[in-house]
Amino acid sequence: MDGKIEVVTGAAAESTVADKAKLRADFRRAARAALGIGRGCVGGLAAVALVTFCAFRLHLNLSTTGSLYFLIVVMVAVIEGFWEASVTSFVAVNCLNYFFVPPVLTWRVSNPQDWVALATFEITALTVSRLSTRVQAQTRAEARQRMEIEKLYQLSRRILLLDRRRTIGPQVVALIQEIFHTESAALFDATLARLDSTGSRADDLEHLARDAYFQDAALQGKSGHASAQVLRLGSRPVGALALCGSEVGRLTMASIASLAAVALERARSFETESRAEAARQTEQLRTAVLDSLAHAFKTPLTALRTASSGLLEAGRLSGDDLEMAALIDERAEHLNRLTTELLQMAKIDAAEVRLRQERISVLTLIEDAVETNRERLHGRRIEVSDIAPHLDVWGDRQLLGTVLEQFIDNASKYSTPGSPISVVAEENLGEIVIAVHNDGPPIRAADRERIFERFYRAEESRYRAPGTGLGLSIARKAAEAHGGRTWVISEEGAGTTFFFALPRGARAEIRRQSGAVAGQGTDR
Amino acid sequence: MQSQGKVLIVDDEISIRRALHSSLQGMGFTVEDASTGEAAVDLVRQAEYDVLLLDINMPGMGGIRACREIRKSLPRLGILMLTVRDSEEDKVAALDAGADDYITKPFHVRELAARIRAAVRRSCASAVEPNAVIRIGNIELDPARRLVRKGGEPVHLTPKEYDLLHDLMAHAGLPLTHARLLRAVWGPEYGGELEYLRTFVRQLRKKIEDDPAEPAYLLTDSHIGYRFAEAKPVTVEENA
Repeated sequence: MDGKIEVVTGAAAESTVADKAKLRADFRRAARAALGIGRGCVGGLAAVALVTFCAFRLHLNLSTTGSLYFLIVVMVAVIEGFWEASVTSFVAVNCLNYFFVPPVLTWRVSNPQDWVALATFEITALTVSRLSTRVQAQTRAEARQRMEIEKLYQLSRRILLLDRRRTIGPQVVALIQEIFHTESAALFDATLARLDSTGSRADDLEHLARDAYFQDAALQGKSGHASAQVLRLGSRPVGALALCGSEVGRLTMASIASLAAVALERARSFETESRAEAARQTEQLRTAVLDSLAHAFKTPLTALRTASSGLLEAGRLSGDDLEMAALIDERAEHLNRLTTELLQMAKIDAAEVRLRQERISVLTLIEDAVETNRERLHGRRIEVSDIAPHLDVWGDRQLLGTVLEQFIDNASKYSTPGSPISVVAEENLGEIVIAVHNDGPPIRAADRERIFERFYRAEESRYRAPGTGLGLSIARKAAEAHGGRTWVISEEGAGTTFFFALPRGARAEIRRQSGAVAGQGTDR
Repeated sequence: MQSQGKVLIVDDEISIRRALHSSLQGMGFTVEDASTGEAAVDLVRQAEYDVLLLDINMPGMGGIRACREIRKSLPRLGILMLTVRDSEEDKVAALDAGADDYITKPFHVRELAARIRAAVRRSCASAVEPNAVIRIGNIELDPARRLVRKGGEPVHLTPKEYDLLHDLMAHAGLPLTHARLLRAVWGPEYGGELEYLRTFVRQLRKKIEDDPAEPAYLLTDSHIGYRFAEAKPVTVEENA
């Protein structure tokens, strides 16, 4: 942004200085052109002198000498150009008049027909010169165009071969300088806010490129052949390119700019691809670690649990021995549940990278969760209200199931024994809301939000039911991974209801910042 | 004590083999063990077992391949897969490979013993006449007459409902995967039409269960399939 401010504030002060510099430059250019024409005429004039001398000594007639002059003028036009041919033709017509038109060795013309001959000679010479120069210029332009196309082709080919692991900017400017023989080149990458340049006038060009981007317009440099072009992808500007010291046509400049924009875009997509690949590998690694952790913990737990339950089932124990075996069995089971839930939590963290989303009927989701929990219900009835069969959600079947399983498990643990648990689902303001209700003592207001924290267990529930303090936090994380939310309403005499809301229909946005929705769903 | 059945334990973890060996022996089973799938394939060729306890995750051949291999030559042997991961894909793969049932580690030995007994019963029952009447609880299914009674009263079932119930009751106590049930009842081109199956199960529950919301016979194995409750020690006559 500094450059832009500098350009705006300094513009007025610099304008007169710039005008003078431009005037001087124009003058120098005109002088250089005149000098060039002078040099180009030397050969033609020498030839005219030679022909004049020979023709005069050999007494050649007017028409023969005129043809020889005409030949010289045409050759000068072909070799040097129109202006040189014009000067030569002017000198030739005067020589013709002085030496060959009677009366000779005077500037006078006695016969009016000779006036016509001289005028015809001059007009024909100028016309032919003009035509031949034009053809010449056209041929030169075509050659230059062909060369630029070849260079552009070379640029496009080599842009494809750039090392995408290295920063792309310096490579692109070096390539343009090498192929188009520019004095300097500068590239402004707007996404990275990065300037790369090469050559002796790198600093000036960097400013020019940056100004072109911020003014969103093609700019000409103050001196020399410097120009800058905005790089666009579609209509979106992605940077700017400035070149100087080479006569690059406007169309070619636009093509170079397009290729540079494509190079930047390719680099960007490669970067995105690499990041996605890294994320995938991280996820794979995490899955592998989780699997081996599961194996490492569950194997000794299996031996422990098999041995303890085997001791109990064999029926040979009594008294303290029986109690100790039962204690080992119970604690081994607790450790197993803790391990399972910790692994589940880690898996949900991993799911922030990738959810296996599919369309799931809400009714099926509830039925599955009920079936999974049936053994832990201890005789409590689950009443599922009539749920519209068309109600469905997008999500990971296993994770969404986990939310409901945790709610139902929680309800069966803390409800009044024998009381039913009810499950209701309905659509409300674009969300699918599922509620699991149970009768029983209320959750203290201070605990209603904290019970969703990892390892937090409300004071009174610690002694009422076994648990790890992970279940509800798993439920919340699983819901949030789907862009959903969870909350609880609990009142004395009215029981406790856990809610789970999911956005309807569309694939859920995966939320990395779980805290973003954590506060919204709390009890009021 | 008379043996409740001959069991071969196949697990690469020695601590689990030892614990299972002692516990099952203590409960009256005759037990042998092996540490790899390859060893198990060899052993079942040499001796006769009632049930095979096969761990899924083993180095070398692995449980699923061993199961497929053994199932080729011994269609009646009871095979129970042990899995450490609570992954539905593993369980479905095990059942598709020909296992009768699965159990997730760690487990209570009592639950394991119940599954082993169910598998033993199935391997014995397979030998019985296929048209024999199946009685479980107060449900009676007569394959010869394609008739179903509940508490002695005939139950009207559609042909597909009957086929579904027959398949489930013939394998009582064992889980049948969604894909297997769909293929067995609707034909080999089916397999993924879960909602279809669920609708039929709901209908069937309304007809045979006392309380369809609390099914006692037609049980769901979440994400896997369905199983018909095991035979209870009540007969139709006693109940009637």
